[in-house]
Amino acid sequence: MRLLHPGFIRRQFSGAGSQTGIFLLCVALSMLALVSLRGFGRSVNARLLQDARGLHAADVILHAHRDFSPGLTGAVDALSRRGEVSAARTWEFYSMVTPEGREGSLLTNVKAVEPGYPWYGEVALASGRPFGRILQPGTAIVEETVLGRLGLRVGDRLLLGGRPLLIADVAVREADRPVTFFSLGPRVFIAASELGRLDLIGQGSRVDYRLLLKVRDPAAIGRVAAGLGAAALPDAERVQTYLTASSGPKRFLDNFLFFLSLIGTFTLLLSGIGIQSALTAFLREKRDTVAVMKALGAPGGFVMAQYLAVAAILGALGTLLGIAGSYLLQVLFFPLFSGLIPGGLRPQLAAATVFEGFALGAIVTGLFAFLPLWRLREISPVAIFRRDPARLPRQLPFWLGGGLAAALIGALVLWQVRDLKLGLWLLGGLVGLIALAALGAEGLLRLARRLPVRALPLRQALRGLFRPGNATRPVIVTLTAALTVILAIGLLERTLDAQFVQSYPPDAPNLFFLDLQPAQLGEFAKTLGTPAEFYPVVVAQVAAINGAAIERERERRKPRDNFGRDFYLTYREALLADEELTRGPALFDSGIAGAQVSILEEVLEMAPLKIGDRMTFRVQGVSVDAVVSSIRRRTDASPRPFFYFVFPTAVLGKAPQTVFAAARVPKGETLPAQNRVAAAFPNVSVVDVGAAAAQAATLVARLSGIIRFFTLLGIVAGLLITASSVLATRRARLLEAVHYRILGASSRFVLLVFALEGALVGLASGVLALVFAQAITWGIATWRLNLRWHPFLSSSLAVVALTTLITIGVGLAASLPVLRRRPADFLRTSDGS
Amino acid sequence: MPPALLEARGLVRTYPVGERLLTVIDGVSLDVDRGEFLVIAGPSGSGKTTLITLLSGLDRPNAGTVRLEGRELTTLSEEQLAPLRNTTIGFVFQSYHLIPSLSALENVMFPAELRGDARAREKAEALLAKAGVDGRAANFPHQLSGGEQQRVAICRALVNEPAVVFADEPTGNLDTVSGHSVLNLMLDLQRERGTALVMVTHSAEIAARADRVITLVDGRISAPP
Repeated sequence: MRLLHPGFIRRQFSGAGSQTGIFLLCVALSMLALVSLRGFGRSVNARLLQDARGLHAADVILHAHRDFSPGLTGAVDALSRRGEVSAARTWEFYSMVTPEGREGSLLTNVKAVEPGYPWYGEVALASGRPFGRILQPGTAIVEETVLGRLGLRVGDRLLLGGRPLLIADVAVREADRPVTFFSLGPRVFIAASELGRLDLIGQGSRVDYRLLLKVRDPAAIGRVAAGLGAAALPDAERVQTYLTASSGPKRFLDNFLFFLSLIGTFTLLLSGIGIQSALTAFLREKRDTVAVMKALGAPGGFVMAQYLAVAAILGALGTLLGIAGSYLLQVLFFPLFSGLIPGGLRPQLAAATVFEGFALGAIVTGLFAFLPLWRLREISPVAIFRRDPARLPRQLPFWLGGGLAAALIGALVLWQVRDLKLGLWLLGGLVGLIALAALGAEGLLRLARRLPVRALPLRQALRGLFRPGNATRPVIVTLTAALTVILAIGLLERTLDAQFVQSYPPDAPNLFFLDLQPAQLGEFAKTLGTPAEFYPVVVAQVAAINGAAIERERERRKPRDNFGRDFYLTYREALLADEELTRGPALFDSGIAGAQVSILEEVLEMAPLKIGDRMTFRVQGVSVDAVVSSIRRRTDASPRPFFYFVFPTAVLGKAPQTVFAAARVPKGETLPAQNRVAAAFPNVSVVDVGAAAAQAATLVARLSGIIRFFTLLGIVAGLLITASSVLATRRARLLEAVHYRILGASSRFVLLVFALEGALVGLASGVLALVFAQAITWGIATWRLNLRWHPFLSSSLAVVALTTLITIGVGLAASLPVLRRRPADFLRTSDGS
Repeated sequence: MPPALLEARGLVRTYPVGERLLTVIDGVSLDVDRGEFLVIAGPSGSGKTTLITLLSGLDRPNAGTVRLEGRELTTLSEEQLAPLRNTTIGFVFQSYHLIPSLSALENVMFPAELRGDARAREKAEALLAKAGVDGRAANFPHQLSGGEQQRVAICRALVNEPAVVFADEPTGNLDTVSGHSVLNLMLDLQRERGTALVMVTHSAEIAARADRVITLVDGRISAPP
């Protein structure tokens, strides 16, 4: 016997449009999210790697938060003298600028650069002129926003550090700052030679120091970097090449695309359920054919091979459709991600992405199609004679195969995530969510079965949920799972927005002042004219814990907050109003000899510290050993300043420091207050916290919009399963509609029953998703973010209502052909004489 | 003489088969009186089922008229026909056509509930008891034997006390004993309630018990009504 019968396989496609179409769309959907994200990620990474020199503006990058050590500058000077490298320094810091001769002030991100910058890439100017020739001492090149916000034009003057600078041009693109996610202020370029005259950088000021090197012999880049690395201070200075340095955009995109790929994996699982559901329905339609084949002596393996071929063809077509769709989706990504990715990127489909897509398509189709195909073996030839024949018993190979398929699906998810621990968490979370949704669906359906309903249409609709062949459970589970994720993301976004933007506490400080020098405090208080809270700030690094040195490079690779960065320490003797102790008898323990430090609970996420542990800090090159005396917790997440590490005054009081001030300025007074401070204290930066929070909220809204877009694909999978389920029960629905009409029901009644059935499915999914999403949001808000939880019931219920309407729509759309059939047509074909 | 309950005149029904038109009913005229038991007999493919779908308003003729209690059915819309089917007409089919998701009792109650009858349950229970299937009231169709399903279907057809019941080979799927029992039940209830009964059957035995028999051959009545 031939293994495959091409004619038979071809015939299976004719007249089986609906279910095969849904199968194909589910495969395409699973590919769409995965392939488009992988392709997009590849394009972005390739571009970032290709332009890596431009993105860092140099071959070798030296970075520090204070002026470079003599050892390192000496090493650079030696290389320069030998002609091996060309060096250009940059200084980056926040500072206020004001227009000359008129009111107004603006916090800006100033970058002072030496001639030669940028060695690679370019700072493009609106005039098209070369950056290096235009930026001269006494001039500034600004971002367009500076002009707009201060009402200035090119040729006007602005005051920076009290000195006038001529605005020479507008910067439209910056080589090493290709994208701007969030910034407290727009860019202002000045020549490095101005720094001395402006006197903006005081002791302890927060400045990013960079030394950008162009290496004459590209082959020597590694050697030069290694040599300079040996000369750098291990904890304070970093030496990287353009290939090893990780840029902000890359880190952000890596993390964000990784998160989206998690959602892609989620869509994959939901689409998988769709694949299984549609194939089951398709094969159910073929039951008589299979029974006849078996009655004619076809072995189970032969039958399975024919339908495996059908599934493979559909899978290949779906994959092809998914890959083509993913290209179109990439086109859509660019407007979605505009401003978040480097310009000049074009959508592309790399051969590797296409190959990977086909491999994934084959695996996904194979795994999810296995069980429905295997069930073909259970169809007995007696099915020809009976409508509801007994199935052959399931044997060990069925359960083994099913288990293997499930294990492979798990492995696919782990491969997709590429992080075993996180992958297992994700898998556990997804399986848990799906299991909870299944449990919830089962509970609701049991309740529905027992509900004493009087209204006839509703009672019929409830009965319809249990119609043989109805995929009510899978539909509710899929919709619930997808909707839970969408709702939870939306609720979290709104919780953050409510906390930080909408309900900005009336007594919370709304202006922060950075980099005050201790000597300026008296004059500053008078200039501000409003009471302010002052916090001394000392910049330091954590060097060791209990004697074990902190490996800063390794720390920095951690995805969360870590000890690889600089910390702002403070000193005081008492808890703040919004703090409480979780461990330790008091902020500081008089029983501890020597220095001690109180830490904020968040530090425990970086290391499992406890009272009595010893931490070593490096403060301006000096080591400070301190014993952990207490652990604090913030009682709310208000926008007040907080510090991870608090020391007694005796320990840090004499360290080099700046002062951070926070003030509550009445609405309408914030701009004049900023202007006064900017005019009197050019070295002080002012942050309008309310405006910054609004800017952050806009960014969060945009990112969550992108996330929601991808999660919507999960909803599409749910709706495809709904359509598949309705189509699979077409005959039963037709029969019901005929019965209703023969017994005297109006078309409206029949329509109402089907609409109510859809509504019940949508409502059950929506209510379950609402409960799960609220629970998840409550957990995250209360336990992780320390925010006040809001249920946002009206908008949550609106989502539930929308889902219900959509399921009604899909259900009715698929039922309409049933309603159009006349009872007599059906009776002629089923009973006829 | 009172007017006939049902008057059909010049009924024609054709179906397209490939490129040609197949005439299944070809100029049939007949009357059915109140309380009459009329049998429509004929060989397979003679158009018996098609004829009762036309008489009952389930289908529309290509030509001709059907008047039930003086109302012309062929001009009524589906929505106008619905209450008529609910209250004036009952159906019993060879394949029972019970609603699979409803229990026996709920199936019988269904037409009465559609009508808004507050005594739907009471009436349905009484009918099931009369039909001898009250012990199976809570069972679903797939849990009932063929004979039991057909008894339930008869109860359902009669629950709204229609003027006429159309039965299409009601014993065709049953064994001899069940067939007899179902027929007896139908006739008892029909006579008790004065309902007209129009039945399609091959059975000469059933035809012998009818008030009148018409025979269809190739879509035409071969003996005068």
